Amino acid sequence: MSREAYQVPNLGAQNAFGDGMGAGSMESPAVSYLCGECNSRVSLKRGDQIRCKECGHRVLYKERTKRMVQFEAR
Amino acid sequence: MAPAATNTNWSVDFETLRRHDLFKNPPKDHTAFPSLAESIYPHIHSFNALFGDSKVIEAGLKDIGTKTFLDGELESPQEKKVRLAEGRLPPKRNKLNVRVREVFLDKPALPLANKFATRNRNIYPSECRERHATYRGKLRARLEYQVNNGDWKESVRELGQVPIMMRTNRCHLEKATPDELVDHKEESEELGGYFVVNGNEKLIRMLIVGKRNYPMAIIRGSFVKRGHTYTKFGIQIRSVRPDQTSQTNVLHYLSDGNVTFRFSWRKNEYLIPIVMILKALVETNDRDIFEGIVGSAASKGVENTFITDRVELLLRTYKAYNLNGRASSRAYLGEKFKPVLGVPADMSNEDAGTEFLRKIVLPHLGNQNVTESQDYDKFKMLMFMIRKLYALVAGDCAPDNPDAVSNQEVLLGGFLYGMLLKERLEEWLRSLGPIARDYCNRSGAKFTDPAFEKEFLAKVVKRSNENIGGALEYFLSTGNLVSPTGLDLQQASGYTVMAEKINFYRFISHFRMIHRGSFFAQLKTTTVRKLLPESWGFLCPVHTPDGSPCGLLNHLSHKCLISTSDLDVSHVPRLLAQLGVRADSSVSLDESVTVQLDGRVIGYCTPKQARMVADTLRYWKVEGTHQIPLELEIGYVPNSNGGQYPGIYMFSQSARMYRPVKYLALEKLDYVGPFEQPFMEIACLESDLVAGVSTHIEFTPTNILSIVANMTPFSDYNQSPRNMYQCQMSKQTMGTPGTAIAYRTDNKLYRLQTGQTPIVRPPLYNAYGLDNFPNGTNAIVAIISYTGYDMDDAMIINKSAHERGFGYGTIYKTKIHSLDEKDSRRGKSKHEITKLFGFAPGDMIKAEWRKTLDEDGLPHVGARMTEGSLVAAWHSVRYDPTTNSYTNVDGVTHFVKYKDAEGGYIDSIRLMGHENGTDPCQSLSVKYRIPRKPIIGDKFSSRHGQKGVCSQLWPAVDMPFSESGMQPDLIINPHAFPSRMTIAQMIESMAGKAGALHGHPQDCTPFQFSEENTATDYFGQQLRKAGYNYYGNEPLYSGITGKEFAADIYMGVVYYQRLRHMVNDKFQVRTTGPVNGVTGQPVKGRAKGGGIRVGEMERDSLLAHGAAFLLQDRLMNCSDAQRSWICRDCGSFLSTQVAVSSVGSSKARAAIKPGSGAAAAAAAAANAATAAPTQQQKQNSSSSASAALGGLTGIVRCRRCAREAVFEDSRADVWEDGDGRRYVGGDNVTVVAVPGVLRYLDVELAAMGIRMKFWVDN
Repeated sequence: MSREAYQVPNLGAQNAFGDGMGAGSMESPAVSYLCGECNSRVSLKRGDQIRCKECGHRVLYKERTKRMVQFEAR
Repeated sequence: MAPAATNTNWSVDFETLRRHDLFKNPPKDHTAFPSLAESIYPHIHSFNALFGDSKVIEAGLKDIGTKTFLDGELESPQEKKVRLAEGRLPPKRNKLNVRVREVFLDKPALPLANKFATRNRNIYPSECRERHATYRGKLRARLEYQVNNGDWKESVRELGQVPIMMRTNRCHLEKATPDELVDHKEESEELGGYFVVNGNEKLIRMLIVGKRNYPMAIIRGSFVKRGHTYTKFGIQIRSVRPDQTSQTNVLHYLSDGNVTFRFSWRKNEYLIPIVMILKALVETNDRDIFEGIVGSAASKGVENTFITDRVELLLRTYKAYNLNGRASSRAYLGEKFKPVLGVPADMSNEDAGTEFLRKIVLPHLGNQNVTESQDYDKFKMLMFMIRKLYALVAGDCAPDNPDAVSNQEVLLGGFLYGMLLKERLEEWLRSLGPIARDYCNRSGAKFTDPAFEKEFLAKVVKRSNENIGGALEYFLSTGNLVSPTGLDLQQASGYTVMAEKINFYRFISHFRMIHRGSFFAQLKTTTVRKLLPESWGFLCPVHTPDGSPCGLLNHLSHKCLISTSDLDVSHVPRLLAQLGVRADSSVSLDESVTVQLDGRVIGYCTPKQARMVADTLRYWKVEGTHQIPLELEIGYVPNSNGGQYPGIYMFSQSARMYRPVKYLALEKLDYVGPFEQPFMEIACLESDLVAGVSTHIEFTPTNILSIVANMTPFSDYNQSPRNMYQCQMSKQTMGTPGTAIAYRTDNKLYRLQTGQTPIVRPPLYNAYGLDNFPNGTNAIVAIISYTGYDMDDAMIINKSAHERGFGYGTIYKTKIHSLDEKDSRRGKSKHEITKLFGFAPGDMIKAEWRKTLDEDGLPHVGARMTEGSLVAAWHSVRYDPTTNSYTNVDGVTHFVKYKDAEGGYIDSIRLMGHENGTDPCQSLSVKYRIPRKPIIGDKFSSRHGQKGVCSQLWPAVDMPFSESGMQPDLIINPHAFPSRMTIAQMIESMAGKAGALHGHPQDCTPFQFSEENTATDYFGQQLRKAGYNYYGNEPLYSGITGKEFAADIYMGVVYYQRLRHMVNDKFQVRTTGPVNGVTGQPVKGRAKGGGIRVGEMERDSLLAHGAAFLLQDRLMNCSDAQRSWICRDCGSFLSTQVAVSSVGSSKARAAIKPGSGAAAAAAAAANAATAAPTQQQKQNSSSSASAALGGLTGIVRCRRCAREAVFEDSRADVWEDGDGRRYVGGDNVTVVAVPGVLRYLDVELAAMGIRMKFWVDN
């Protein structure tokens, strides 16, 4: 299941249960980050070394989420 | 065709397009704001001098010289006697010589251990900020060593990593253009001048020290305490070596006319008769000394019996030492000072004496390879100092004021850094001796053994503390000076400050700041804080904080420069000789006055000649002929009646302040220094010129103000304290810290979202590029009493203006969430990775967790955080070497939580890797964005020290409006003006209004208007042209009734700043909350949710009002009130105890009940009180309290008043304690409400054997 696509915010227990089982039982998912130097995408798994694969830079940014972020306006 | 060079000329205009172009295309040649870059040059150039052309460090290495150590033991006098008796030769002791030949400092780069970086191994400052690391480079030293007189061998030692100042010659960005700076994630106008230490920007604050190489006459009461017959008179000289370290020498006058020489060496003070030093310096005789001080027999000096008597006594008393000639004097000095100088034990006494003279006596006149003529210079200088001392005692000259800028210079950050580095190197070299000896003692080897040579590096040097980088990093991060010599400085801490980027004014002010020294902060007298006329043009008279650092923390005037290198003045002595300066002199000041260059006596001439010499030199200097550098300070002190000691004192070295003025004779730029300025005729304005007297004129009077003080509009129209307040407040404004905010990781960063350029500003505003960092908003301000919500500096903000974004700000907070424990073992053993970010594999991931967290266990960027939100998930792991991975065993996910009460949003998340590029993620740097719209209670101010608090956001419909329908954004109370007299704000209001109407910026440079040409007329005419009232008044209509006000209202445009003090960071309120564990009283401190103390004075006022119930509520009920059992008979809290129910005694208890009904009822009430969990006490304390009160069904008795039950006692009267012992009596107990601390006090006193007794009424 891609997290790139928009997901309907669903806080139902089943979804989380399924998600949790899926993620938990298998190898941890790779999440991509942005290199602080060359801006290339770096895909990291749990326990990977923090380093850009391209240039060896040591600071990685987390990408802006693709989730829909909405708040109640007050 | 190459593009045209970036234009660096700025006017007062808005220049919007040009600015935008600069933003879009950062210049590829040089900065567009050179004056901004120049403002921090003292920091950068002083650091550059260490390793650059000035080679300060190299001079330091020469001063350290070669350290020599001997093996074997020093023979004791007895051994020596025995040896001499037997006629043996002294045992041969081998010499080990060590020295540091060179020091290299590399630019910051990745360690060799990192095998992953391929393209660029440089580390740039932005990475250090982002990784919360230190911007540092490798320090290496070429260590050379030699045994006896063998060959020198060398080894390049690594001495750790040394923090490096930004944009210096050891930084990658030294010559970076704005374009390159932007590429490296810096501001386009990044200035440098600071260090990055653990991600924080630190700078070494400039410090005031005494002027170098100038003998100052001082009268100080504490001199008397130096010893018997000491008087308050002294001559002090701060002699600076070529490596910028200093040695203070003082001559003391004794009441009998004698003179002693005092110095301090390695934090100890020593005193020597002056004649001993004179005789040790050169081969001389008493006649030479006499004539050197008094003058030749033909001169008028010999008629001065005051001097001749004393000099005679000086020479006579010295006879007691019976030391004749240079050699014996040196040997005597050498013998005495050998142990403290750190010279090798086998050095001859005479050589040690020579070393002493080289290191300690006036080292500015000869510090390395001292020649005969240099020794003679020292001799002449000491004679001059004696003369000045006698003149001071005789009252012929006045004491010099050490608090005046004319007798001060600046200790620059780079130089202090170099001093520290030199001292660390010397300590390191010294430390090799004991280690080498220790090695020999242990292995029984001599220095000559081949094994020693083989193992010297591995076993001796390796064992020394080579981490010099660590010491410097400690210095920068704490500001504490750890030094065995004290570096001739008066304080041990407070040298570094954090360069806070709250806004740009604050940031730039750090670099222009000069501190007087924390020693003076404790001084009771206020003389050091006074604003003296000598400071004119060097220190800003306006820009100093009020309160405790007032006058001690000054700021440089914006045109004041500080020299960082020595000028070439080798030509000057010859010129002076040509002008008639001769060597022979006299103590009579009418006959001869001194001519000195950098503390070296060049010669003497008559007072008349002196004036001519000074004038000629100045003309040549400005003209640029005769090789006299323009920056040379020619301090001509004319003869006077008991004033400053006359002469010509020239200064050419670093750390001097100097500033530009115009030389009238040539209509050219001249630089003047603080020493010469008091004796010069510098006109401020054209009207101040006096024909035949004035020699110079100021370029503009605003040159005396600092950068920040210059930004106050029309500051000449304000009452002066208001300008001071404005300087302070502009530095607390929530403005724009910079444009590279995305790459900054400051703990707290304030940002104004809607900054504007002020309509009313001086041209300097553009010259310093302050439009890159807007600091406020142009607001329509009406000065009117309206609604009553604008009393007492409160101000009303138009709600519509607020909704349009007036003063809207944001706070960025960066928090580091680290997994490795920061305990003491850090760095020692190779720390293992025990935790990882992310959900534990196999653990169920709950949906609520995923609200803020992604798959990787980190929050998604943009997530909203409230108190208790999850920031990151982590789990414990163990390293599995077989698979080279980390395995989790327990499958439990832990969380890092968001702790602040105020909600925010995740702005960015940084995963910080290790320098080596090996470790998995162990720490996160999370930047939170906290929006702060202006709310009631937030603080605002105009640029005139007029601060106010927002009291209402008033709806637009109810705001007053003008005839054209305009409403003010802000309403302030007219009562803010009469007593504060900030007329400039009114002028700014008019000027802003006219500027807005005509669409042009207004120049608000102070001192441009006068009584004849008034500001109000100038701007009034503009207003009239725009169709407005000449006086700036407008008819306004009430927003509530719609009726026109009886008076016209003064309304205009004023630039308003939003200050960083906001209620959200300050409110403190509680009813219940955390309490102290011991006393049960509320804790203090806003951060901990504590209360504000109702102290004695508050208590007194409540008593005076008779508000007893309120007092009871505050001091008891909201604090540590508790109900407690007490025995009425013995009056003790402590002896009451619960009677437990014994088996089958329920009947007995039932029988008791009617007998002590009152007690039982009280017990029930007490139980009810404790059972209700109103007090948030600890679990155990509440349970023990309820136990003390007898639990739910218990009965309480006083054990003390009870006696042991005997057989005869009725079962109804008997009660039983927890151990089954049976008692009778003690039933006169009751419950009282008391403060918890009272019981605590009782317990504590009981522990000391003191009983408290309480009488319980009713």
